Amino acid sequence: FQDQAEQFLRSGHTNNWAVLVCTSRFWFNYRHVANTLSVYRSVKRLGIPDSHIVLMLADDMACNPRNPKPATVFSHKNMELNVYGDDVEVDYRSYEVTVENFLRVLTGRIPPSTPRSKRLLSDDRSNILIYMTGHGGNGFLKFQDSEEITNVELADAFEQMWQKRRYNELLFIIDTCQGASMYERFYSPNIMALASSQVGEDSLSHQPDLGIGVHLMDRYTFYVLEFLEEIHPASQTNMNDLFQVCPKSLCVSTPGHRTDLFQRDPGNVLITDFFGSVRKVEITTEALSLDPDVAGFESKFPEEELATEPLKYAEQLPVAQIIHQKPKQKDWHPPGGFILGLWALIIMVFFKTYGIKHMKHVF
Amino acid sequence: VVEGLALLDLGVSPYSGAVFHETPLIIYLFHFLIEYAELVFTITDVLTAVALYLAIQDFNKVVFKKQKLLIELDKYAPDVAELIQTPMDMHYIPLKVALFYLLNPYTVISCVAKSTCAINNFVIAFFILATIKGSAFLSAVFLALATYQSLYPLTLFAPALLYLLQRQFIPIKLKSKSFWLYTMQYASLYLCSLVVIICLSFFLLNSWDFIPAVYGFILSVPDLTPNIGLFWYFFAEMFEHFSLFFVCVFQINVFFYTIPLAIKLKEHPMFFMFVQLAIISIFKSYPTVGDVALYMAFLPVWSHLYRFLRNIFILSCVLIFCSFLFPVLWHLWIYAGSANSNFYYAITLTFNIGQILLISDYFYAFLRREYYLTHGLHLTRQDGTEAMLVLK
Repeated sequence: FQDQAEQFLRSGHTNNWAVLVCTSRFWFNYRHVANTLSVYRSVKRLGIPDSHIVLMLADDMACNPRNPKPATVFSHKNMELNVYGDDVEVDYRSYEVTVENFLRVLTGRIPPSTPRSKRLLSDDRSNILIYMTGHGGNGFLKFQDSEEITNVELADAFEQMWQKRRYNELLFIIDTCQGASMYERFYSPNIMALASSQVGEDSLSHQPDLGIGVHLMDRYTFYVLEFLEEIHPASQTNMNDLFQVCPKSLCVSTPGHRTDLFQRDPGNVLITDFFGSVRKVEITTEALSLDPDVAGFESKFPEEELATEPLKYAEQLPVAQIIHQKPKQKDWHPPGGFILGLWALIIMVFFKTYGIKHMKHVF
Repeated sequence: VVEGLALLDLGVSPYSGAVFHETPLIIYLFHFLIEYAELVFTITDVLTAVALYLAIQDFNKVVFKKQKLLIELDKYAPDVAELIQTPMDMHYIPLKVALFYLLNPYTVISCVAKSTCAINNFVIAFFILATIKGSAFLSAVFLALATYQSLYPLTLFAPALLYLLQRQFIPIKLKSKSFWLYTMQYASLYLCSLVVIICLSFFLLNSWDFIPAVYGFILSVPDLTPNIGLFWYFFAEMFEHFSLFFVCVFQINVFFYTIPLAIKLKEHPMFFMFVQLAIISIFKSYPTVGDVALYMAFLPVWSHLYRFLRNIFILSCVLIFCSFLFPVLWHLWIYAGSANSNFYYAITLTFNIGQILLISDYFYAFLRREYYLTHGLHLTRQDGTEAMLVLK
């Protein structure tokens, strides 16, 4: 009985997805790409496969001409940890990272030609981790220096996901300036949100690397990753520990979180519920019979014999008519009163200037 | 115009779209002439050049007469013989003016592009001709037409009035009754003709919606397509709640210089007209190179100021280079995508700065020549050493 109760209190998810978004372009935003790739690495290490990760990177730091160590993206100074490597699968790269594509991924309203790797094929038993990083402000997050997504849009997208039963529970982590403003407007159930800074505060970067010349990570993500290094697929650490990560003394900004929409107590939520892909295995002793019905398969195609003559082009297009077209008759003519008035005025001006005696020359 | 006429053929008011902003008289004119549009624009340009030729011919006579009068009245200092204009110099000026207008690449470009600026220039040229000939009635009629076409020639009322007053030998004193009488006459002629033309336009389409479409458009600048003017970039960057304020500021900037210039240049209304035309073509809300061509046509009239101009090289370089860079940067911005609007706006700014420098240079040269004429070429300070004129 206690097992069943425990079962009831555990999360009811069967699969895990992750949507990791880096919204910044340009070399000096190296740290945002490093943030996202580090989270990607952790999430993969904890078990979520590439097919369940939608990775959106707005710029390519590894192959940037300004990268002194090509094909690498370091997340730790002294180049200790290369988070790029050989097996990074970026689903949306460069200019494909737009607000429209992000919202389409979330809500599933994708054109039919989109490949599977670019789709978020979650269902109502999926736990989704959404991690966003970049430059933001009070109520918006900047995409690629040219557009922005507002907290209202994001909240509405999540509501669409809820109404389409696209998630079971959702963890939203955002590492930008004034990040808490992005989760203020959520109103759909089962969302937990974490942000690196409150409204009015800036999120700061962690450490510059003098060899590469840019800041490598942001503080909040750095400490989250340090925390995640201790997590392994079987660990029982819960969300309350994640909320304590990066206190103000280390992070300078005040991280925030929001759990009022979440139905379970955060103390009961395991980190691996979102960051890992723990499959629940049910062992059953019953035998199942699989019996496909192959026999009754009729072709129901009617015989279509439409006798159609092939149409010639010239018959469909009235070429002769077009060539011999007369110029279009004008439908509008100025009203008579106007013409009369105008010419009367012109004649009056003429005679006023030159005198009436010229009239005899006119006639 | 083609769009407007097509809309009319469909039975809809041509101002219902956002493309057509010309006056109803243009509709009437082009209704019959749209097939011969190239011919119309060519003839318009030729007529403008003829009008300018006749105007400047008459103006030269006036200038020469005035000069003679001032010499006889001993208003000039004794050593300014080289500054006086002689008929020999002034003989070819009208021809040069006409040629400056016709052969100016800007005019050719406007004609090829079939810009209705040619019609605006035509009306303004005839207005100048009528003013110089001294006919207040015709001048008021043409000024009303010019104002009706595009709003800004309203500022040309002041120079025309000053010229006509000078021609009638009415002194410009604020207390003089004849001054006010003449001003009232001219103003009433102008306003009456303007009202008559606007009412006539009402009868063309039986609606007043040409007023917001033409004048509302000029004043409120809703369309921010890039041109060679200063408005589009500012208003593209501006927040909504500031735009009304800045529209007012920018529009006031066009009309603002009239009164100070009238006070300073009341003896020289033609120069005032030239400066005012230039100010209109720089600061108007949708300038074109045709407007620039019109005031540049007047430059030979002031060719005697050549020795006092200070920035000839820089100005000609700036204007020529900017004219060449305009299409280059436009192509780079719109078609090649490797520049952005800032590049094009930089050239716009530089071009307008060049034009402003041109006017201020001519202004300074004119005033300097006037000063030398009355005070002598070799200025001495109170203690007898050589002095220099400085513009403060």
